[in-house]
Amino acid sequence: MPGEALEIAARSLAISGTATLLSSTWSIVLAYMLARSPRASRLLVPFLEALVGIPTVLVGLLLYLLLSSQGPLGMFRLLYTPKAIVVGQAILITPLITSVAYRVLTHSWSMYGELALALGAAERQAARLVFSESLPGLAAAVVMGFSRAFGELGVALMVGGNIRGYTRVITTAIALEVSRGEFGLALSLGAMLVAILVLVSLTLRFLGRLRER
Amino acid sequence: MRAAIELRGVWHAYPGSRRWALEGVDLEIREGRILAVVGPNGSGKTTMLKLAGTLYRPTRGTVRLWGSDFWASDGSQRLRLRRLVVYVHEKPVLVRGTALHNVAYGLLLRGYPSEEALERARSVMERMGVAGLASRERGQLSAGEAQLVSILRAVAAEPRVLLLDEPTAHLDLEKRRRLASLLRELRDRGMGVVVATHDYLLARRVADEAVVLEEGRIRVRGPPGRVLEV
Repeated sequence: MPGEALEIAARSLAISGTATLLSSTWSIVLAYMLARSPRASRLLVPFLEALVGIPTVLVGLLLYLLLSSQGPLGMFRLLYTPKAIVVGQAILITPLITSVAYRVLTHSWSMYGELALALGAAERQAARLVFSESLPGLAAAVVMGFSRAFGELGVALMVGGNIRGYTRVITTAIALEVSRGEFGLALSLGAMLVAILVLVSLTLRFLGRLRER
Repeated sequence: MRAAIELRGVWHAYPGSRRWALEGVDLEIREGRILAVVGPNGSGKTTMLKLAGTLYRPTRGTVRLWGSDFWASDGSQRLRLRRLVVYVHEKPVLVRGTALHNVAYGLLLRGYPSEEALERARSVMERMGVAGLASRERGQLSAGEAQLVSILRAVAAEPRVLLLDEPTAHLDLEKRRRLASLLRELRDRGMGVVVATHDYLLARRVADEAVVLEEGRIRVRGPPGRVLEV
């Protein structure tokens, strides 16, 4: 099992890492647009914040219906592949990353965006300063998104299928071991999951401190 | 002499608020003059300065910069006009880096080569007697030092109009005296200066004209000796 556990951990990292990267790309752009548009943010932000806690099984179910062979996206044959989990997790964490990044960028714009404009910056120069000064907050939003993706079960189980050597990730492996009564193994996998999350968070904090120097 | 900045019939409400922060304000800001804006907290001083600095778009009314309706201008014209005016926040906001980098920042935004920007920034800091702060990071500056750095950053950018929001809020007496002297020097060099302040002493010392704002309206305007007695 140790070899297989490492392989599962590596797969989980790759899937959740890709989902987080994808989701961060559009979520941070969306958050910036909302931060610059008070009217749109008044409508959209409460909606996004409500979706932060959406059950993972509900996202998994909706995606399953879309990707199943009878579903509208069935022709892409994504169901029970790692790509399906990536897509599902990216959708799942979009409200979380967007709403946290929105708070960070709104605060940062009120300080640094206004400062840059007051000093005669063009909009893109102001945006560059806002992003540069917001990096620690945006990194925290990304870490939170990664943690939610890495620790979720519903999407990975419903659209990944927990196929050994292909779509099995740490959370689905834990669920499997619990169903088999292998609680010790399940706990070890759980400890590994938490250790990876802490390690990712500490690494980003360390990189942030290096940048501050 | 034509006004550098004109606010005509300006009303302003913040997004989501039903209260007017400014109500029908008319104001002219001229180069080579110092205008003091006084009034109680919440009277609209900061809002008026930010509207004059084009950071806010008025809900109603027009803001003209050197005769051009700013918000009706195209992007490149707006940028050109915006660079003639610098607004300094009451709460100093410094970017990552040293005090010297901060003072040079406005010049860097305007496309000055790094060496020239830093040289000009150094010279401005020397003139104010704060060259010793140059190598300090933003986190190592006191509130008063940070305020001074943010004011010098605006001065270094050499705008034609300088808008200062509560510039003495964190300054000790000596720094206030030096600031007053700097403002007079800038005025004599032809820069227009607007100072929103509760510091009546500074206003009386430096201003050529004063206005009193109350509840978003200009109540009184005239020579500081008369207006500031009200």
